[in-house]
Order: sequence, then structure tokens, then C-alpha cells
Amino acid sequence: MAAVEVPIEKWTGKVHEVTLGGNGRKSVVVGGESTLPFLHFEGSLPRRPVIAIEVRDSEPKDWSPHLVDAWGDVLADPAAWAKKAMEYGADIIALSLRSAHPEEGNTGADEARKNVDKVLSAVDIPLIIYGPGVAEKDNEVLVAASDVAKGQRVALGNCEEKNHRTIAATCIADGHVAIGKTPIEINLAKQLNILLCDVGLSRDSILMDPTTGALGYGLEYTYSVMERLRLAALGGDAMTAMPMICTAGEESWRQKEAKFAEGMPEAWGDHLERALTWEEITAFSLFAAGADIMVVRHPGTVERMKAVIDRLMSESA
Amino acid sequence: MSRFIATSAIRGAQGVVKQAEDMLKDALEKLGPDVPIALVDKEGVGTTYYLPVIYGYSGHKVEKLGDMTTPLEHAKSLLPPVPSENLWLPYLGETMDAGVATLFAEEIIEGIRFAKGEQPEVRNGYKFNGPISDVQTRSWGIQMVDGSMPGFAAVIGAAKSNEVAVKIVRELQSKGQLVFLSSTSNGRSIVDQLLEEGVELGYQTFTVPFGTDTISVVYAAGYATRAAFSFGNIAPGNWREILLYNKFRCFAFALCLGPMDDLKWATGAGAITYGFPAICDTVVPHILPTGITKYEHVVSMPFDDIPGRDDMERAERLVQRCIEVRGIKIKIPKVDIPVAFGPAFEGEVVRRENLRAEAGGKGGTCFEWLTMKDMDEVEDGKITVVGPEFDSFEEGAKVPLGIVVDVTGRKMQKDFEPVLERQIHHFMNGAEGVQHIAQRDIAWLRFSKSAVDKGFSLRHLGVILHTNFHNDFGAIVDKVQITLYTELDKVEELRKQARVVYRERDARIAGMTDEAVDTYYSCTLCQSFAPNHVCVINPERTGLCGAYSWLDCRAAFEISPTGPNQPVPKGKCIDPVLGEWEGVNSFVYEHSNRNIERFTIYSLMDSPMTTCGCCECVMAIIPEANGVMIVNRDDYSMTPCGMTFTTLMGTVGGGLQTPGMMGHAKLFITSKKFIPVEGGIKRVVWLSKNVKEEFAEELKEVCEREGVPDLMDKIADGTVATTVEELLPFLEEKGHPALTMEPII
Repeated sequence: MAAVEVPIEKWTGKVHEVTLGGNGRKSVVVGGESTLPFLHFEGSLPRRPVIAIEVRDSEPKDWSPHLVDAWGDVLADPAAWAKKAMEYGADIIALSLRSAHPEEGNTGADEARKNVDKVLSAVDIPLIIYGPGVAEKDNEVLVAASDVAKGQRVALGNCEEKNHRTIAATCIADGHVAIGKTPIEINLAKQLNILLCDVGLSRDSILMDPTTGALGYGLEYTYSVMERLRLAALGGDAMTAMPMICTAGEESWRQKEAKFAEGMPEAWGDHLERALTWEEITAFSLFAAGADIMVVRHPGTVERMKAVIDRLMSESA
Repeated sequence: MSRFIATSAIRGAQGVVKQAEDMLKDALEKLGPDVPIALVDKEGVGTTYYLPVIYGYSGHKVEKLGDMTTPLEHAKSLLPPVPSENLWLPYLGETMDAGVATLFAEEIIEGIRFAKGEQPEVRNGYKFNGPISDVQTRSWGIQMVDGSMPGFAAVIGAAKSNEVAVKIVRELQSKGQLVFLSSTSNGRSIVDQLLEEGVELGYQTFTVPFGTDTISVVYAAGYATRAAFSFGNIAPGNWREILLYNKFRCFAFALCLGPMDDLKWATGAGAITYGFPAICDTVVPHILPTGITKYEHVVSMPFDDIPGRDDMERAERLVQRCIEVRGIKIKIPKVDIPVAFGPAFEGEVVRRENLRAEAGGKGGTCFEWLTMKDMDEVEDGKITVVGPEFDSFEEGAKVPLGIVVDVTGRKMQKDFEPVLERQIHHFMNGAEGVQHIAQRDIAWLRFSKSAVDKGFSLRHLGVILHTNFHNDFGAIVDKVQITLYTELDKVEELRKQARVVYRERDARIAGMTDEAVDTYYSCTLCQSFAPNHVCVINPERTGLCGAYSWLDCRAAFEISPTGPNQPVPKGKCIDPVLGEWEGVNSFVYEHSNRNIERFTIYSLMDSPMTTCGCCECVMAIIPEANGVMIVNRDDYSMTPCGMTFTTLMGTVGGGLQTPGMMGHAKLFITSKKFIPVEGGIKRVVWLSKNVKEEFAEELKEVCEREGVPDLMDKIADGTVATTVEELLPFLEEKGHPALTMEPII
């Protein structure tokens, strides 16, 4: 039988490397790929994709009972939650300052400072800090969080076109990384990166969140956009070469397949297994599309994803 | 530069450097070199950046008195001699050196005063703020970077009266400027004036009193330097970057009230090195050419000569001028009208039952006309209604309406007038209860009863336009004024003038050729779904979606320089007939992710432009007929090539280069540059009927221009042929010219 020659693509570009943490804290570096995900035979993949576990600053009221079971009492205490997440293998803690949302407590800068400080002291792995997703409140709490975390090189998100200057400014001032989020669109993703660089943020201080849906809820659209972004990056476009971060947990756990136990067809099987599978397949697909950081919710997903990444990152894969 | 200013500034610099030298000598003797130096505000909160101006300029850290010798010597070495009597054009650079020496000396003096416990200044029991703390710099710095606070105004001296002082500060605050206060004029300080009027000063009110002497102005430079450290990520000593950061990102200026003296000029020269211009309310020489500052350097605007009804209006204009000179863009947070405003109302229809009044439409008289004017001809935010308002109209009345918009801006161009004018439609539709259709002299507006009941008046149309032009087009628009006419004779008269302009514009666009420009524009808006597609838009071919003309792209680039419309320099011409240029090829290669290497503008057969998926029409060759067919998106019928529009679209779309097939805009058919390589419109053997009808007149003209006046009758459509078998006999019968042209393949 004739040997099959595997075609090798010669890429000119490389994904920027972004470091989180450091300065006494453990550091995590993502990016640096010079080929598509897991194609070891073609280029170099110097960094493992990493997992962040979502931790909230206030007890979530509408989470699936499976998530509540998995985490138990720590849900009410962000520091304990973060510590437990670290034990479950999180590489990064994604602290969501949800209580600042106008409809979920409307807390302000002081509460944000307090919680960020608590979590920073509780764990020695890097942090991602998310605002409540309302631009005005995001600016208020993220600027405060940034100040508290000065020097710890956390990632701050989300940074959208309308508030990018504020987040970029605070990242520059305090040495953090900005998470630029755009709605599943290549041009907008690239433009936001350019705008962030224009403000003065360096290329190695930007992560892209291309926005995703869960499995069955538009995942394939994000998949294509991420793939295109990564192809452009490898093709030499430095403004699309930021590492990517996706929120598989939040998206999966709000879909009915994961959320509801009652009233579903019997053929759908065991609820917990289904919910975990939903988060897992969503997360894995996005890793395959090029994600560098995945934010998930269930400890079980962390274990399963780590096993998959281990295998895919071994050279013989 | 001005000899007067140079002489004065250099004299001032020499004086203040001497003062610093004497003070340092004295302090070293009395206090010794080890006394620590720390700048703090009145609350005792300080900075970790030593003496920030000196630290920024030289990287030298002043931690104790003894550390001041080096910067003092530095300042002395910068001092130029006073220009001699017969040197009429002194060199700007020397004056700038004098300015830097002044800032060094001033910071040394303030440092020594701190060591002696004489700062922040206390006068008549009032404690001034002194320098701004790092904590405050960070908090304001973020607002400066995010644009909610463009920059600061260093107000120096005292205003004509207390009322004027208050008005100036209020006006500056309304533009989002931070206000720093220092120095005196004729023994009065603006701080005194504001305190006498009960104005609260301090960090909370964005007004910071530095001190009553000119030396304290250096705190403003210290603030600017630290902003560059923190938000520009610039290392101390990297003076060039620090100054450029401030020039382009910190929209600060000095507003000098009252007579100038040597030290004020010297300090002003220091400020100019940061790119901060000075506006003086007295008679002084101008320094107008652009250079170190973005626009003018020194502008004289003698207060009593400012046109205006009273001092309040003069103060307003003075501040307006400052905003222009520094090039500050105003953002208005909210459209201030009594009804809701937003994209949700864009599709809203105002029906007859709910109609309060309408303008234009069938038999109505209505037009909208936007004109570019000179800077001093436009008063920003001025809205005038000439004629009756809603309350004088009967319910459901059809009223005459003329909407005249005057805009001006440093980057505005005459060619952008139609681009901006078309926005009126989009803006006005955003208001709840306002329906806007069409444009120019066929514009049609309807206002609902409920909107007028809520207090909506014609004046508010002006508010909508003013706010939105600033917010969406601030990159090219600096000032906007709106006049609304509702008297029939006036509206008719102005409409006549507007029509002349519309015709001129149309003629200009029609006369614009590819040869007349050296830059085309790209559009990569569709790369989200056709990642390798690039539109190259030339004056004689609009984007294939029909939505973007060359002018639109040029304006879009000015408005959003990082957006999807980028200039494509044509570069060296490879083939003028095919329309192939080196610059276009390399742009397309790079932006198509290295997929498309060649790209011709004038050919269908040889490396034609790619298609995303948005095209209005698809053109495809019919080899049997030796010609091309064109099918439009709204034409669902079968075509002679055996494919419907949708199937053709699937074949040609997605950024592929398909010789013999191409997407394009409807209007392209009328262009002089319509596939000239293949013979132009004479090649068209089949054309969707709806396009024939929609562009009947234009196509007739084109056929006449091409010397085939009866061509349209010879071109088939879906009603006569949907197969090649049906098409050929029709063409034979009509004697279509394509049949006898040279072979297309």
C-alpha cells in the first residue's frame, strides 16, 4: 500500500500569547498556536487550552438543581466556591459580579471591591472578572474590581464596543487583560481588537469572546466564525490573532435540555447525564474551533474536558 | 513665529528659572539637601511620580531637595537668549525650550514650597487644592480615555466679571471639560470670582483651584504627564511619547483671561509642547499654523469684540471657540425630545386616524437640504423655526416644510453633503410618532397626534438632527445648526435653490470617473459570511449590494477609520483596458486571505470581482447567444441559463472568482464602465423585466449614449424567453447586436 502523504499547510501567522496571573499568583499563558487546534503534525501548540469555572458573587437563584447539588453550600460564599473550584481542577476562576445587575441586587463598586478581594485572597490561580452585562454597571464595578486586583493581571469582561474605552483604560492603568466580546461576527471582532489597540492596550492584553450559543442553539454559527477568525490569524492578520474565550457553561445550562428534569421525552435519558453532555459537547466543539479558555459551570465537565484535552494535547494524538 | 510672544516667553522663562535657582540655593542652605519633597493635595494625598513634569521629561526622580540641582541645571541649559532687536522671525523651537525650562523651574519652586510647608496655598482662610493626587488622576484618567471627559481647561487669570467667570466654568462643564483654575489678572483670580458667587470648587464638581499664581499652572502639566504614564503605558523620560499622547488623546487647552505677562507666555509655551493651545480673551498676536498643537497654537479673541447680545453669549462663544481650536468632539448622551427615540420606532407608520399634521407627500411641499458652511457661519445647536408651529395647524393639515441643515467641521468635505443628508431619513424615523419617507424634495413626514400631545414640536426635529449628527458623525461634523421653515412662499423659494444644488450634485456624481481618482475604496462588510470576499468600489461602479457608492465609502472611512471601508490606492496601472492595478491586486490578495491574486474592474471574463451574496443582480454569459444575461434578486422566474437567481447566487456567491459570472448592483448597468472589455450594454441579451421597468429612462439614455437607441426592445426578458431555445430566435428576429459581435469566449 502506498504511503499517504499528509498535506501540510504553511501558516505565516501565530496567535498572540496572553498571560494571566503572575506576580506571586500562579500564571496561566494561553495562545501561541501556529496551526489549527490539535494538529500537532502541522505546527506548534505550545499552550494547553484551559478551563475556567464560573463563580458568582451572590447565590444564583435560577440554577439547575444539578449545579446546586454539585456545589452545595459554597454557592453562597464566593471565596469558598472559588477554593472548591480550584480543588476540582479549574485553571482559572471566572468571578461573575452578578449582584451588580439592576434586577439582581444592583450592588455597586464597594461590594465588587469586597468580593474581588475575597476571591483573590482565597485562591492563588488567575481570575477572570465579569460584570453583570449591563454596560453602565459593568463600567462601575469592573473599574473598582480592576483597582483592587491591580498587579494581579486578571481578565476583565465583557468589553464591548460601547464601553471598550473604559475597560481598556482601566486595563492599561492596572495591567490587566480585556475580554472583547462581539456578537458572532468576524468584522466586529476584528474591529473591536483594532479599537482596543488604538486606545493603547497591547495585543497581548486582549482576549476575544466571539459569543456562542449552546449545542443546538447556534453553536455551529460560532464554530464557523471562530474557525474563520483563527484562519485569518494564522494567515497573518495580527488583529484577529487574539486567543479566544467562550462561555460554554452559561449557554448550555440555560437550555431546556440541561435545565429541566420534568416533562422531557423518556428517550432523552438521564437528566444529569444529558445536562453534562450538553455542556461537554458545547465546550469540546468550541475547543475544536479554536477556543483557548472555556468557562464552564459543572465540576463534572471539568474532569471530562481535562481528560479529552490530555489526550488531544499528547504529541501522538 | 510671533516675535512678541517669543521675546516675552523667553524673558519669562529666564525670570522664573532665576527665581527657582535663588529659592533652591536658599532652601539648600536653610533646610539641607535631605529634606524630602512630596507633592500632595489639600487632603494630603500625593503622587508616586515625584515631580511629574520633570520625571516625565527627563526620567529624573526628585525625592529630596538635593535632587533638584540636576533638573535646575537642565532648565538653565535649555534657556535661549532673548531674541535681538533685529531678529524678526525667531525660531519656534527656542521658545518651546524656554517653555520646558519654565515648567521645570515652576515645578522646582512648588517642590520647595512644599518642603517649606507653603503649599497648597492658603489665602484669606481658603485652602486651595494644590496638585491633583494619583488617586484622582486615575479616576479622571479613565473618563478621559473613555471619552466621557474629553480633557481639561486650564483657566488662567480672571474673567471680565463674576457672572462671566461663572458662565465660562458652566459652559466648560457642559462640554465635559475638567476645569483647573490658577493665576490672577490685575490682582483678581477666577477662584475669587467663583467663590464670591458661591460656586462650589473641588474634585466633586470637576473644578480644581490650584493657586493664585501662574506657577501653579504647572500642576496641570503634572496631571497630563501622569495620565500619559498610566493610560499611555509610557515610561518616564520618554518625553516624546508623553507629549504625543497628550497632543492626540488629552483634549486640554489654556484659556487665558485678562492681560498676559511674561510668565504667562512662558508657561503657555510649556503647555504648547504638550499640544495644548492657548485661547486669550485679550488682544495678542495669533499663532495660527498647525504644528505642535493639532490646530492653532495661540488664538486671540478679545472678549468685548466677540459678537453676542450680552456678556453671557460672549462667554458661550468664547468657550465654543476653545472647543473648536482644540478639536474636541461633543457627545450628547440623550436625544432630548418629549417622545421616545430609538431604532425600535424606525418602521413605525403614522396612520390617518392618528395624524396630527403632515408635510410633503402627494401634492405637498417639503424638502431637506444639508449644506457645508464655514466654521464661523454655523452656531452649534442653534435651532430656528421660521413660521407657525403645530399649534397653528388644523388637525390632519398638510403643511409646507423646509428642513435646512448647516454643518461644518474640520474634516467635513463638500462631497459628504449628500451622504449626511440621506441620514436625515434614518434619524427622524427614530422618534416615536414621526414617520419619514424618501429624501430631498420628495421627503414626506407625518406626525402623530400622540407625539404632538406629548409636546413634540417642529423644533424637536432640529434637536434630533443636532444630537445624531454629533453622535454618529462626530468624526466629520463639528457644528450643526438647523432652520425649519413652515411658510409656503419661503419653503417654495428655498426649494428652488435646493433643487439647483440637487442637480449640481447629481451632475457631479455622474461626472465622476475612475480616472479622476487615485484611490478606490474597499468594503469587507460581508466577510462575516463570505470571508474571502472583498468589494472594490470605484466611482463608476457602486458596491454590488447597491448600498455603497464610492463617496459613501470615502465618508464611511472618515467616520470610522478602522471600519470595513478602507482606501485602496490604485497604484501602478497594469492594464488600463482590463482595469487592473497593482495596488488593487495587492489589497485584494491580502484581504481575501490570500485567495484572490488578480482582480480586474472592467472585465467579466478575465478575473472578475468576487461576489459575497448581497448582490442585486447576477450576470452570466450565454455562450450560444454570444452575450450575457442579467437577473435581478426580485425576479423569481427561470432564466435562459437554466438557473434561477437563487441558484445562480449559490454558484457565484461566497467570495469565489467565477469568470463569466458576476454579482453587481442594478445601477451598474447604466455605468459607462459596464463590462467595457466585453463590449458594454450591447452584450446584454436578457434582462429581468422589473429592472427594465425600474430603470426605463436611465437605460434609454444609456442605449442612446452607446449608439444603439432601440437596444432595449431587442433585449429579452422572462416574458419572452426562459430557455436558450426561446431566446435565440427572439434575438435573431430583433437583430440583436451581440450576435454579430466578436466571440465572447
